[in-house]
Amino acid sequence: MTIAETDRPVAASREGRRIEITGLTKRFGSFVAVDDLSFSVAPGRITGFLGPNGAGKTTTLRMLLGLVQSTKGTATIGGERYADLPRPLQTVGAALEATNFHPGRTGRDHLRVLAASAGIGDARVDELLELVGIPAVARKRAGGYSMGMRQRLGLAAALLGNPDVLILDEPANGLDPEGIRWLRGFLRHLSAEGKTILVSSHMLQEVEQTVDDVVIIANGRLVRQGSIAELHGDPKAMVRTTDADALARALAAGGLSARALDGQRLEVVGDDLTRIGDLALEARLPIHELRADETDLEALFFALTDSPENRNRNLEGGAADHPAAETPEEGVMR
Amino acid sequence: MVATISSEFRKFFTTRLWWGMAIGTFVAAAAFAGLFGALASRTGLGDPAQGGIPPMSDHQIAVNVYSSGVSVGYLLTLAIGVLTIGSEYRHKTMTSTFLATPRRVTVMWAKVISLLGIGGLYGVVFIIGSVAVGATVLSVRGMPAFAGAGSIVRTLVLILLVLGLWALIGLGAGILIPNQVAALLIAIGVAWIVEPIAGALLSTQSWGAGVAQFLPSRATTAVLQSYNGGGEAEQLSWWAGALVLAAYAALMAGIGSALTVRRDIS
Repeated sequence: MTIAETDRPVAASREGRRIEITGLTKRFGSFVAVDDLSFSVAPGRITGFLGPNGAGKTTTLRMLLGLVQSTKGTATIGGERYADLPRPLQTVGAALEATNFHPGRTGRDHLRVLAASAGIGDARVDELLELVGIPAVARKRAGGYSMGMRQRLGLAAALLGNPDVLILDEPANGLDPEGIRWLRGFLRHLSAEGKTILVSSHMLQEVEQTVDDVVIIANGRLVRQGSIAELHGDPKAMVRTTDADALARALAAGGLSARALDGQRLEVVGDDLTRIGDLALEARLPIHELRADETDLEALFFALTDSPENRNRNLEGGAADHPAAETPEEGVMR
Repeated sequence: MVATISSEFRKFFTTRLWWGMAIGTFVAAAAFAGLFGALASRTGLGDPAQGGIPPMSDHQIAVNVYSSGVSVGYLLTLAIGVLTIGSEYRHKTMTSTFLATPRRVTVMWAKVISLLGIGGLYGVVFIIGSVAVGATVLSVRGMPAFAGAGSIVRTLVLILLVLGLWALIGLGAGILIPNQVAALLIAIGVAWIVEPIAGALLSTQSWGAGVAQFLPSRATTAVLQSYNGGGEAEQLSWWAGALVLAAYAALMAGIGSALTVRRDIS
């Protein structure tokens, strides 16, 4: 199954590269960090790669980038393994951890070291430092950088070769609200250029407004994938009145599907609040509350990743109380 | 490959390590050359069998003065070799290195080649320090500073080789022991303390002397054909000494690289 790619077309000038993860598995001894994971990431869209801490996100990204060897399965970018890319930095830009800098080297020199191995000139380095907004501080040693500066430097490093694919691990960590807004706009701009963007996060809330698609994993396994719109589901409205059953009948007569939650409250399918109000007025029923009921994605995220079989394995003490241990093939995890 | 090598050089010259080490190398070379230049005499000093210095020709004196600091110089290039890879593990820059050059064997070769060059560069710094000070001291004492000039030049060139090879041994140690601090302590500790003691103990045994000549410090002395700390010890020819050092470097860097190519980088 692949993620829907209908609403935003890929820019015509670039063909784009798709990330394909197929049956990817990583075992560390008897611990299965990533378990038969399959998903794909479309070009021209921003995909959120979500899961609680310890779900296997970073391990998956590191396998995708050839830093960690998979036990089984494949991970390709535009049909090729990362290690086989002829010009890796010009194809894939990755920012994995904001701490991967030598504290005694300046940010600018960090980029120059990378640039040298990809045959990229200093002009591009300075252009990127300007773009991510740290041109002055980049001439100081990286040991004194704040988390936000490190994130921006990491992003500059990822963009050095103007790659088609961007892979960012928790890029919003340590950014202030202004920085997060800047990052959001920046990623939007890049995805409009047809780039494939995969952004990991342990908080759905953080990326909710940024991403088009989501891949949610828990305990190394895929829990859910789809577009943000699909995740939100059909719009609903919440109505409070004096006689819920009477209003439900009135709405049904008007063509709206409604369900009484208790004596006073109803849940209505659809988001046409005006029509609901008008129908209630016709039925001469008072309205005490009328609002569109947003799906709480955060609650959904917890519901998905915290269901008994997906409960965070890292937070548990013993093996015996783990439901997954009951099935033999998952018992390997322990 | 050329791009990866240039990246390695850039890595080396963009932290403060390089000039700190350069100053250290220069000072060590100059200090030892000055000291040996001041003490050296044609008649020798004390009883050679008791650890004294045997009588030497003018040429031997010059060679020994200029190469006297090598045992400290190679400890410094050894440390540089360890740090080249150790700091990449410590500061996790290995991730960006392998992202830029996913073929890890290429990265390792680039490190080997750049380290040979860097070791040679420190050799130049070393020679400038030792010859400038050593020759001055010898001249002041009225002794010929360049007796047998051709042979002296050969020794100086071999110093470059020795320092380069010790940097590679350090690289091997740094790859084999991914903890930078542990790698530094072990490499320096073994090369500076353990190995010389082992050499001294081996030399007291009838069977040990033949083995001792293959120890790195003895092989280094053999390459430079300098005073070997006592007349009785067996010594390899200069090229055999160089091969022994190269073998240590190749063995350690080879095993280390083979491990690194498979290692998960996190």
